[in-house]
Amino acid sequence: MNNKFQNFEERVQYLKEKAKEVRTNIIDMIFTAHSGHPGGALSAADIMTALYFDILKIDPNNPRWPDRDRFILSKGHACPVWYSCLAMRGYFPMKELKTLRKFESILQGHPDMRKTPGIDMTTGSLGQGLSLGVGMALEGKLVKKNYHVYVVLGDGEINEGQVWEAAASASKYKLDNLTAIVDKNNLQMDGFTEKVMPMDPIDKKFEAFNWQVMTINGHKMKEILIALEEVKKIKGKPVCIIANTIKGKGVSFMENIRKWHGKAPNQQEYEMAIKEIQGGNNEIN
Amino acid sequence: MKLTKADITTRQAFSERMLEYGAIDKNFVVFEADIGYSTYSHLFGDAYPERYFNMGIAESNTMAAAAGMAADGRTVIACSYGVFISLRAVEAIRTFICYPNLNVKFLSSHGGLTPAVDGVTHQATEDIGIMTTLPNMKVFAPADTESAKKIFDVAIKTTGPVFIRLMRDPLFDIYSKEDTFEIAGSKTIREGKDLTVVTYGDIVFQALEAADELKKDNISIEIIDMYSIKPFDKKNLLNSISKTEALLVAEDHQKRNGLGYELSNFCLKNKPVLFDNLGLNDTFAESGNYYKIIDKYGISKKHIFNKVKELIYKKGGK
Repeated sequence: MNNKFQNFEERVQYLKEKAKEVRTNIIDMIFTAHSGHPGGALSAADIMTALYFDILKIDPNNPRWPDRDRFILSKGHACPVWYSCLAMRGYFPMKELKTLRKFESILQGHPDMRKTPGIDMTTGSLGQGLSLGVGMALEGKLVKKNYHVYVVLGDGEINEGQVWEAAASASKYKLDNLTAIVDKNNLQMDGFTEKVMPMDPIDKKFEAFNWQVMTINGHKMKEILIALEEVKKIKGKPVCIIANTIKGKGVSFMENIRKWHGKAPNQQEYEMAIKEIQGGNNEIN
Repeated sequence: MKLTKADITTRQAFSERMLEYGAIDKNFVVFEADIGYSTYSHLFGDAYPERYFNMGIAESNTMAAAAGMAADGRTVIACSYGVFISLRAVEAIRTFICYPNLNVKFLSSHGGLTPAVDGVTHQATEDIGIMTTLPNMKVFAPADTESAKKIFDVAIKTTGPVFIRLMRDPLFDIYSKEDTFEIAGSKTIREGKDLTVVTYGDIVFQALEAADELKKDNISIEIIDMYSIKPFDKKNLLNSISKTEALLVAEDHQKRNGLGYELSNFCLKNKPVLFDNLGLNDTFAESGNYYKIIDKYGISKKHIFNKVKELIYKKGGK
């Protein structure tokens, strides 16, 4: 995908524009559904855009292509960002986005691998995605395929002890084909992570499990791309990218506000949000 | 009829067949959670180290990783004790294995009260209720080593998740090399006309012993080994209770949500007959000798004998 650009700067610019579209779709979907989780979808939007419009080796015409890179959204409630990326890449028609959370929709409230083309694994119950990713990465090693498994986790869900069971097992099997990206937006449902359940230093925890750790700004497209390129060069151990992000990023009145974890905008808020995202704020990234 | 106690346990028999089958089917893999020398999955691991993943004492991670590995169609056998599979790891099993209907088979050892001396923490007395409740899950409970081996083959050839309840201690030999087993199958191991006893696993032997005693009182019971618990053999059950008009379900499990509850529901809808069931009566058991425990908690041959007598009396018989 990145061959069509003259230089790195153009590539970054293209992704920044795509991220705006992704954000617009997120707000549009959640507004239409009258339900959903905008905060954590918006915080992951730049990471997901980089993956789906640049990094991932995938074929939307062949969603179950055996050699494809795998992606797991462990923080499944943020799925509007995933659905948006998948629709924009052509896995299913864009008009399906309007059916989010509706009766008999292919877009379930949380991701479903049997209903949505492009969804590699069902998620939604927090703290499970990294374990699922460990299994997929073990499969890749067993069949000696070069695909890479990416798991996006929330910084709230790492409260779950199973995440650390998974971290240990990924390290045991030296899963250098597995990358965890922690969307560190510092908020979970009941409030700031440092108040609800402090987990810092997250980098030191992953390092203690013998993971390679990188810390980046999860809204700087350049940093995201550089880190994701770097990941593929690291051999013999799994990699964790801690992406510092802002919950609700791109819609000022949603940023860093707890209540926007799982709330749909009303008409007025919707219009304000769309205007802000599309309003030529090129500094968004 | 004098039965002999097997040299080995059903967990060992199942794992020995898993080892043999490893050469027949080179595609399946095995996940273990640090009790490989107890489930005997180490036999497979020693022969096929590249197809064996020991995830340590972390059952939820083990099951979720098994799901990840099975996501694109691979068959995984995941091993642990029944109490941990059915309780600690059940959410990973429900949401990531049953919901997408992935090919993960659960080697579930230490079923029922057979880990008697270990006490309540290791006794799996709610596993049948929990596992049969999960959509897409199939549940088997072999009564001896021969059926354990053959049910391995049935399980691995069955699509989707399958739970196989195995036992800590050796059971008695009931079946021969000629016996065959299938999904939704059952075995009528004793024919009779006065009452039907449906049971499975370790309690099959208790029912056979009770039948011998009842015979002395001129009572003839029909015994069905319902080794396929979900789905169960409706046809054989209906035929039997149509003949006997009385049903007793005896199981090494809580009465609540066990096979007894399932079959009473079935009978009420299809063929109401005189009914009762034996099992743990909304209580935990305790540590101790297995035979003393099943007797104290109402599941032994003595209780089957007494309950059959009571039902026959109610039926207006002898």
